[in-house]
Amino acid sequence: MSKPRVAIFDFAGCEGDQLQIVNLEEVVLDVLGQVEIVTWREAMKEQSDHYDIALVEGSITRKSDEERIKAIREKAGILVAIGACATIGGVNCIKNFQDEKFVRRYVYGDKAHWYNTYAARPVSAVVPVDANVHGCPINREEFVQILKALLQGKKPFIPNYPVCVDCKKAGNVCVLLKGQFCMGPVTRAGCGACCITEGAYCWGCRGLVDDPNMDAARELLGRLGISAGEALGQIRLYDGYGEEAR
Amino acid sequence: MNLAIIEKEGLRLFLAELLRRKNTVVGVKDQSAVSSIPGDSGFYTYAPINSPEEMTLSFDVTLIPPKKYLLPAYEQLLTFNLSPGSIKADAPKEELIVFGVHPYDIIAINQMDKVFSAVPQDNHYLERRKRTTIIGIDPVKAAPRAFWSSMGADTVAGGFDLMLTDIGQCYVTEVGSKKGASLLKMAPGAREAAPAEAKERDKVRAEARKRCDANRLNFSYLELPSLLDGKEEHVIWEEKSYLCFSCGTCNLVCPTCYCFDVRDDVSIDLKKGSRYRTWDGCLLSDFAQVAGGGNFRGHRADRYRHRFYRKGQFIYRRFGDIACVGCGRCSAQCPSDIADPVAVFNRLKEGI
Repeated sequence: MSKPRVAIFDFAGCEGDQLQIVNLEEVVLDVLGQVEIVTWREAMKEQSDHYDIALVEGSITRKSDEERIKAIREKAGILVAIGACATIGGVNCIKNFQDEKFVRRYVYGDKAHWYNTYAARPVSAVVPVDANVHGCPINREEFVQILKALLQGKKPFIPNYPVCVDCKKAGNVCVLLKGQFCMGPVTRAGCGACCITEGAYCWGCRGLVDDPNMDAARELLGRLGISAGEALGQIRLYDGYGEEAR
Repeated sequence: MNLAIIEKEGLRLFLAELLRRKNTVVGVKDQSAVSSIPGDSGFYTYAPINSPEEMTLSFDVTLIPPKKYLLPAYEQLLTFNLSPGSIKADAPKEELIVFGVHPYDIIAINQMDKVFSAVPQDNHYLERRKRTTIIGIDPVKAAPRAFWSSMGADTVAGGFDLMLTDIGQCYVTEVGSKKGASLLKMAPGAREAAPAEAKERDKVRAEARKRCDANRLNFSYLELPSLLDGKEEHVIWEEKSYLCFSCGTCNLVCPTCYCFDVRDDVSIDLKKGSRYRTWDGCLLSDFAQVAGGGNFRGHRADRYRHRFYRKGQFIYRRFGDIACVGCGRCSAQCPSDIADPVAVFNRLKEGI
């Protein structure tokens, strides 16, 4: 049996998730032993239109992106969104709440008219996505887990519980217990609560769980003295495309 | 010698001797001694200790109970090979001394012993339990949300190897097992307790109980199974769970919650793999989801109610124990502050 052919594509994003794949280090050879990478602009010069699995980083920000992602979807048996920009829209969606012309001029200056951008969106807003590797950046271990599940023909395990679970397992002091802001109770786990473990709070880069209790979040933030505006800003940081941010 | 006295300096030397003999000792540390993160002081955690000075015995309650050593957050159960097919169970091998466990947490461990000894018995748990020495300590402080004095958990009759009570200048030390008796021999200057010192222990315990009584059930905890009868449709479940994040914190920090999920991790070449288990919780939205997508407790209120019935009734019916020891961890750590058993049970008792 020939190895599954994998192609890696990028749209609007920092390519940090592809960098995580490059950085797989000790397992990279194992992965390459099981799949054949046929297209990957960031790491190789060859390319091919024949692939089974497409890994897509970045958000869709132009009409021309739509055509490109649709063509990829057509060729790929399995399409996996990798990283927050692709899975939930990510930081690109911050611009969705600003004036489109101003943003374009701010970034591209006097060449702004060359770039026909529109409101940023996740890949799933344009084509069906088979699996999401969440995070900004993606967690390398989780990426390998999901890839393995796909190679086995299994549905990958992607947690639908909040980051609090990972935090308790890690033995962290709860950020909220210290009276500070945290997106953990409504954010999808799977990251191992790495940011809290390192002394920060959860920024919500993995997006919301399927059924977030936003009433509870509002109540809690009120108790912490955080305004609705500040909280909305936090949600829009990564999840600006989501319905809670609009 | 069933009731002994160890002087304060004697206890320090005892602990130093345990460490010198290469025992793995975990004790309670103020989180500020473990973490460099500002604001982490005043929170207590169990962690491996390297010197007696790192440890405190005057904590009120730890964030996570000592169950993390008997039922780790992640535990590999077995490894397997697919060609040729073979399975090898993992056997816990580490000997551990947990130094400083409060009576309510020992009662919780005694409950877990019952649960995991029941058929089919859980060999991983039982093996860890066998290899764990428990040195208990009576609490000198009660955490603000603790209510162990209401749950019959202010003292414990067994389940420890040694049980210390700080009576001022020294520790009254009760021997709870043969292992405890031989450990005691390593404590320099240990001697038989005088009757007056045994009485002093009673006094210290009564004072601790009184401190904890500041937050209490308005009725005997033994009434809980009957109190919950017919309360399934009570308005409190909807009302409280309105603010539930389904984050499972109340489960994960509970010393009597033992549910776990089992998963396989197969190597990328599909030739070998391992099976592990990890903490789960009945408050998580997908906990009762089954193949095909059905969910027996798809609503927050159902999950929220389930926990209280499990604590007050279900485990009692099956094992004869009330599955709440009054540590107050759920109450103190719930992000929405809706998990307090005292508030819920007292309200059910009042009938409003």
